[in-house]
Amino acid sequence: MNLKDVSLSDLAASICDRCRKNGIEVVLSGGACVSIYTQNKYMSSDLDFVLVSSVGRKRIKSAMKTLGFNEDGRHFRHPDTPFLVEFLSPPLSVGEEPVREIREIRRGKMILRLLSPTDCVKDRLAAFYHWNDRQSLDQAILVCRDAEVDLHEVKRWSISEDMKNRFGVFEKAMSGEKAKVSKLRGIKK
Amino acid sequence: MLEPLLESSIKEKVLLYLHTHGESYPREIARDLGLYVNAVQYHLLKMEKGGVLYSKLKGKVRLFGINPRYPFKRDLEALLEKALTFVTDEERARLYKPRLRPRRTGKPLS
Repeated sequence: MNLKDVSLSDLAASICDRCRKNGIEVVLSGGACVSIYTQNKYMSSDLDFVLVSSVGRKRIKSAMKTLGFNEDGRHFRHPDTPFLVEFLSPPLSVGEEPVREIREIRRGKMILRLLSPTDCVKDRLAAFYHWNDRQSLDQAILVCRDAEVDLHEVKRWSISEDMKNRFGVFEKAMSGEKAKVSKLRGIKK
Repeated sequence: MLEPLLESSIKEKVLLYLHTHGESYPREIARDLGLYVNAVQYHLLKMEKGGVLYSKLKGKVRLFGINPRYPFKRDLEALLEKALTFVTDEERARLYKPRLRPRRTGKPLS
């Protein structure tokens, strides 16, 4: 399979589809979801799929082989693409809570299953909350700017994770972002 | 205590160690617990793969810790805390009660 100029979302859909055909249910998570929801304003080169249920490595390996991917330690690589594919162990969760809503995006005949924008923001914020990773905070804000995110749900989740104060940092960064956007709009006028 | 559940006494010791020490690296864990570093490394990598642990590079050392994003982290820590109460006082003091507070450079340890 030629993957030279394939986009991240098309590649993710191909992998998701191939896995499903081989009886492996996966959901795309992590930075790749940010790329998709922000139309590549943030560009991830990692495709992290979470396994919905435990699957033997051999089955994953043979499914990936049909797409031309080779195993490289814990990851899979293809000679034609810089994307690195990883399959993470279940459960599919954001923080302490299981993911309940899976978003589906159709790419031609293939369906890509991924975190919803709201869960994607929670996923990024979890990295900010626990690792103090500012890049993840920026990514969460990017997703909020470009996709429909339920901020009340993000707040509820943050509080249940004992991260009310950290949510405050996110809220503050968001309000700064809003001010920046309105200022830019003002200049355009 | 947790060996029947975890199917390994090494895994139990490593988890108790990380629970009480925060972060550590394979050689230090193995040295402190009197275990083979290969065995410790094996369990660390297995638990990292399963999402129970995280690892990160600090200089040339790879540090491991209990993953704060692991969905059962609180429950696991509650279980480990309970398991600690079954450890003898001597063992707890020797292996699972490290000094974590800072100490200024040059000040001798009492």
